[in-house]
Amino acid sequence: MVVRLTRRPLTVAAAERWLTVGPGGGVVVFAGRVRPDRRGASKVVALDYEVDRVPALVQLRAIERTARQRFRARGLLLWHRLGRVRAGELAVVVGASCTHRAEAFEAARYLIDELKTTVPIWKEERGSPARQPPRRRARPGGQSVG
Amino acid sequence: MTPSVRVRLFATARLVIGRARLSWSVPEQGLSARELVAALEEAYPRLAPTLRVSRFLRNDHYLSDLGEALSPGDEFVVHPPYGGG
Repeated sequence: MVVRLTRRPLTVAAAERWLTVGPGGGVVVFAGRVRPDRRGASKVVALDYEVDRVPALVQLRAIERTARQRFRARGLLLWHRLGRVRAGELAVVVGASCTHRAEAFEAARYLIDELKTTVPIWKEERGSPARQPPRRRARPGGQSVG
Repeated sequence: MTPSVRVRLFATARLVIGRARLSWSVPEQGLSARELVAALEEAYPRLAPTLRVSRFLRNDHYLSDLGEALSPGDEFVVHPPYGGG
């Protein structure tokens, strides 16, 4: 499927299989992973993705149409995960198969840039619990002091 | 039953007011999208910064003109800036 919004894991291998069926000589796949960024004492362990599905699908298909014409693409895909995506997993995969490499690179760049800015998908970070600083031992009968 | 529009909020907009859906009465004289946005800002002042950078849809179509009138039964959707990928 060219356009896919799914709760199932995405793989580059599946994208490559999809794009190498056609006759394109240049195939580019871009995959975006969830980074385990630090947020102070906490760490991002997952991202929760939500979508407004109907306008998102309309927009993804519009991106596909434009890319097909502009880059004479022979094959395209725009796949995005929904729901909880854990750090290290793929959140998005886009790809283009074109006659030559230059168009394929440009098309893949266009797909991911447009997807990020024009498709109604949002993410919310889920972090590991912040580590508490070690407690100082309280003095008998009084508060712990610095 | 009071004529109303359904309001749906995503992401930051939902988090700010703690609700994903609202029902908003349509007065007798009618209600434009701009008037609804202003009413939402007044009812939820913390939502105002998000509304200023949001896109709006009526019945799954982007609104290019906030002067458009909303009809009872319409769904009005607030899309804060997107963050896919």
